[in-house]
Amino acid sequence: MAEDVVVAGVGMHPFGRYPDRSLKDLARVAGLRALLDAGIGPRRVRMVYSSNAMAGMLQGQEMVRGQTVLREIGIEGVPVVNVENACAGGSTAFAQAVMAIRSGAADVVLALGFEKMFVADRSRTLDALESAADLDVVAGLGIQFTAVYGLRLRLRLADGSITRRDLAEVSVKSHANGARNPYAQHQVTVTAEQVLESRCIADPLTLLMCSSICDGAAAVVLARSGVLSQPGRPTVRVLASASGSGFTLDPAGGPSGATLCAERAYEQAGVGPGDVNVAEVHDAMAPAELLYSEALGFCPPGDGARFFRSGATALDGRLPINPSGGLASRGHPVGATGLAQLAELTWQLRGEAGERQVRRPRIALAQNSGGWLEGESAAVNVHLLERMEPWI
Amino acid sequence: MDLAAALDCAPTGERPRFDLAAGALVGGRCADCGGTAWPARAVCHRCGGADVRLGAFSRTGTLVSCTRVMVSRPGLEAPYVLGQVRVDDGPVVFGQILGLDDTEMVPCPVTVRVDAARYWFTPDPGPDRPQDDAGLHAPTDERQN
Ligand SMILES: [Zn+2]
Repeated sequence: MAEDVVVAGVGMHPFGRYPDRSLKDLARVAGLRALLDAGIGPRRVRMVYSSNAMAGMLQGQEMVRGQTVLREIGIEGVPVVNVENACAGGSTAFAQAVMAIRSGAADVVLALGFEKMFVADRSRTLDALESAADLDVVAGLGIQFTAVYGLRLRLRLADGSITRRDLAEVSVKSHANGARNPYAQHQVTVTAEQVLESRCIADPLTLLMCSSICDGAAAVVLARSGVLSQPGRPTVRVLASASGSGFTLDPAGGPSGATLCAERAYEQAGVGPGDVNVAEVHDAMAPAELLYSEALGFCPPGDGARFFRSGATALDGRLPINPSGGLASRGHPVGATGLAQLAELTWQLRGEAGERQVRRPRIALAQNSGGWLEGESAAVNVHLLERMEPWI
Repeated sequence: MDLAAALDCAPTGERPRFDLAAGALVGGRCADCGGTAWPARAVCHRCGGADVRLGAFSRTGTLVSCTRVMVSRPGLEAPYVLGQVRVDDGPVVFGQILGLDDTEMVPCPVTVRVDAARYWFTPDPGPDRPQDDAGLHAPTDERQN
């Protein structure tokens, strides 16, 4: 029997634009908050998985990125593994930390993600983002991530199962949630008209549907069950950790990588999509929520828009999705995003999510995807978390 | 064919990607399972076999989805149109679509276009639509070279 793994502490540096803070500053705040939340000091951490995607190209720190920021908060000497998996790097670090604990290699492990995407020359950030694909195959085509999502959504506009109005309304919902999140990059509400009238980025996506360049950091302390005492606080347990990578599209069609990964997570946990009470999904463009509701089994294929229109995914709905605001509103500092999702779900399960708290969730799902291999995400992780104690 | 054969596969930089005479993409087709990929790979993604033969794919395909991109990139002035194309009897590829006036027409048939350095697609070729429906040329005994 694999060791039970609990989320012992979470922390974030608010997402946004921080030109006067270094990678070390961002990582320090997120890392220390996670340690403080876990009630431990830096010397208690036995191993670290560190996620960053772009510091090589943007800050010139190509190697040992984790070690350089960890020394700022007194973590030295222990194994530090640097993880890079594009936008899925944060959840990849988390998945590796779970494995390290399950294997018995360590009992307290830190997963840390940090990113600084705002640099003087914005085209360098776009270059770095474009490198989340096989450049040998797609260099020069101009395939930006907005275009990737645009292509996916156009397919559904064409068959009528999703309308432009739906795309806007999802963004309205995401912004409404983000406006309640003190860690979010865009803490503003918007109207459907504002969304539809904002600048077109890649048809049918407009500016207010898309995640933007962002700085930030997030961290999670994972521990073997029982090794850290946390009296008086609900315990959040890792129910499942599933990972996958992209694959060549079959011209005849087939399930998405997210679907295959989620199926493995459900099997591991012994639960189904109907048991999930709250989810954070990888909506780099807010309307992607509609597609992921289907891919993750929350509703039948083709029903994503109908599911959304029913109100099920709103904060007070049956299955609130992206209470944090999601990537488009909370922000998407690539290497930190996956851990921000898991931090949010931990707060939700504990009942510590403030104004955006959803109603008494027991099981939470996080889906984080990264990169692009001509049609399929290059990396995907699905995690299921569970609140152990009943709500009073 | 033995997996070890893939050790002797031509370097990626030496594998042809276009057949200018045929006006088609050149990729790999697995002689064992029929799996196709562009550009050709040393090992088949579907069956893990190494008997991957080079050949030209069909010049026709279906534009499955597209998007008009409004943000310029170096060497690419916005707006430009990107599309996902299912090449007849070949793989799914992504590329630029030229001459698509109405993106609401998608899905629609397209023709593959190539020159020495790049490929793109054009919609609804009308009378100029090539008659080459043969798909990938019959596998030869030649391995990738
Ligand atoms: Zn094969």
